[in-house]
Amino acid sequence: MSIVETPPPQGTAERPPSLLRRCAALLTSQQSILLVVLIAVMCFFDFHNSRFFSTSEFSNLIVDFCEAVLIAAAETYVIISGGIDLSVGSTVAVSGVVGAYVIQYLEGHHFGEVPSLLVGTLVCAGVGALVGIINALMITRARLVPFVATLVTLSAGEGLALVFSKGGTIGYDPVAAVWSATGFWIFTWLSVIVLVLTAILGIVLHVSRYGRYNFAIGSNPFAARAAGINVNRHVASVYILSGLLAGLTGMIFYFQTSGGAPQSGIGNELEAIAAVVIGGASLVGGAGRFTGTIIGVAILTVVHDGLTFINVATTWNEVVVAAFIALAVLLQSLSAGSKKLL
Amino acid sequence: MSVEREPILELRHISKSYGSVRALTDVSFRAYSGEVIGLVGDNGAGKSSLIKTISGVHNPDSGELFVDGVARHWKSPHDSMQAGIETLYQDSGLAPDLTIGSNIFLGRELLRRGVLGRLGFLDQKTMERRALEELEKVGITVPLSKRTVSQLSGGQRQAVAIGRAAMWAKHVIILDEPTNHLGARQSLEVLKVITAAKEQGLCVLFISHTLPHVLEVTDRIIVLRLGAVVRDAPTTEYTVESLLGTITGLSV
Ligand SMILES: Nc1ncnc2c1ncn2[C@@H]1O[C@H](COP(=O)(O)OP(=O)(O)O)[C@@H](O)[C@H]1O
Ligand SMILES: [Mg+2]
Repeated sequence: MSIVETPPPQGTAERPPSLLRRCAALLTSQQSILLVVLIAVMCFFDFHNSRFFSTSEFSNLIVDFCEAVLIAAAETYVIISGGIDLSVGSTVAVSGVVGAYVIQYLEGHHFGEVPSLLVGTLVCAGVGALVGIINALMITRARLVPFVATLVTLSAGEGLALVFSKGGTIGYDPVAAVWSATGFWIFTWLSVIVLVLTAILGIVLHVSRYGRYNFAIGSNPFAARAAGINVNRHVASVYILSGLLAGLTGMIFYFQTSGGAPQSGIGNELEAIAAVVIGGASLVGGAGRFTGTIIGVAILTVVHDGLTFINVATTWNEVVVAAFIALAVLLQSLSAGSKKLL
Repeated sequence: MSVEREPILELRHISKSYGSVRALTDVSFRAYSGEVIGLVGDNGAGKSSLIKTISGVHNPDSGELFVDGVARHWKSPHDSMQAGIETLYQDSGLAPDLTIGSNIFLGRELLRRGVLGRLGFLDQKTMERRALEELEKVGITVPLSKRTVSQLSGGQRQAVAIGRAAMWAKHVIILDEPTNHLGARQSLEVLKVITAAKEQGLCVLFISHTLPHVLEVTDRIIVLRLGAVVRDAPTTEYTVESLLGTITGLSV
């Protein structure tokens, strides 16, 4: 197991692990265990109500998955870089409300449905990015810890969403509602866009230089800086990306609820963080897998929808989520032990 | 020694103050390729200030710095890296969650060819393979470069960090207390890597408080006291006792 203390004779470097070992490692990896858990949970719900495995229920699941997945993806980037973003939930609300306001205004001035929706999407993304820029400035310039900086924007966003909307839903947009329901099989067009975007985010995290810097900075920011990486610039970009994705999620909620509601997304940062933790990322940064987060989001979505499906009060949702987080942390320590065994 | 050699690194009359604190006074020395130079001195003697001057963390108040015969004026550490000087600072280290190969190429990632490369896609395979080859050159045999640094011992990590510096340095590597916090056996491995880097033709500036290590691995030792060079002589002319005396100034 040593690289310098007992150098092996020339040409006999340690063999790559055998196929059997690789299969064993794959089966005991956190990803596979999570996948088994996901399938088990789905079977559990189907056992209680045999209509769970149906195209109608699956299309519901995908819609709900898409509402949660972008901010969970954002949180994956942030957490791996060694930070945390508590503001994603209220950024969804504030961007959705502002976007709805703009759309309502444009449509009221005969701007046309589709152009209005496109401008609205840009506005949502822009508001989200603006929150991200504020977070980035507080963290990289004012040197606030991410927890405090994003707590500030969490509260401010929640309050502003209520102020802008006066507490009610802005706009009623049947066209958006109809479009958001069109698609094919169990997918809506909106969900296809979200899923493609999610796949791109996953690929960038794991095979691009940007993603590599994200891991390096979370793992050891001093080493990253000494290696010539502009740590501040990268960290800033991650919070802006996070805000942007929260803003786009605001637009997804707009389509889903056919209007901008100040309570959309409120509190969802906790589920996003839970999904990342369930997915196996380290809360101190430097380690994590995008696929883990995706399965984490899927599990939380299935639990949330499934409980309603079998008529269990949704108040149980938090308790079940807590149980999953505990399970995930347990798995993490177990798989750390199994690494030594294999 | 028939051919007169040009120094790869030369300092002439370098002085540096932090406000009223004089950290370096008229420091001059020459360093040659394939030479390991020990830089020793008590706490506050100016060792760190000196290497920060060489690596471009700050500029001297007066004096000149030559690398490969050319007068240099660094604007940032990046400039010194470009000129072929790699510095391993006391606490920067490696990223423990990344693989050995990823650490070796950190900040200098190889990208795929063509469109994918332009989109920022990494060429991980080539990086892992080349990391392995380059580490082997300085005597580090890595069984699997896909192993993360966190799975290595302290000595192995430090060896990889020095291997990384040796791989990227064209001329000089500066090591600030690389054997600190290491056990005897692990220190020995680090010293081996230093020797291997020297055999590759690099100039190594080795800073350490562990005098037996300095005596073992260096060709020449420069002793700093209160910011000034008090002795610059071949290692063979020192013993642990005389070196200690020169450092403290109590007896020579
Ligand atoms: N950033 C700084 N500001 C003020 N004084 C400093 C600073 N860095 C070092 N010094 C002073 O300069 C002198 C040399 O310090 P240093 O180069 O760190 O010595 P060494 O590395 O040999 O222990 C000491 O008196 C130290 O207190
Ligand atoms: Mg020092």
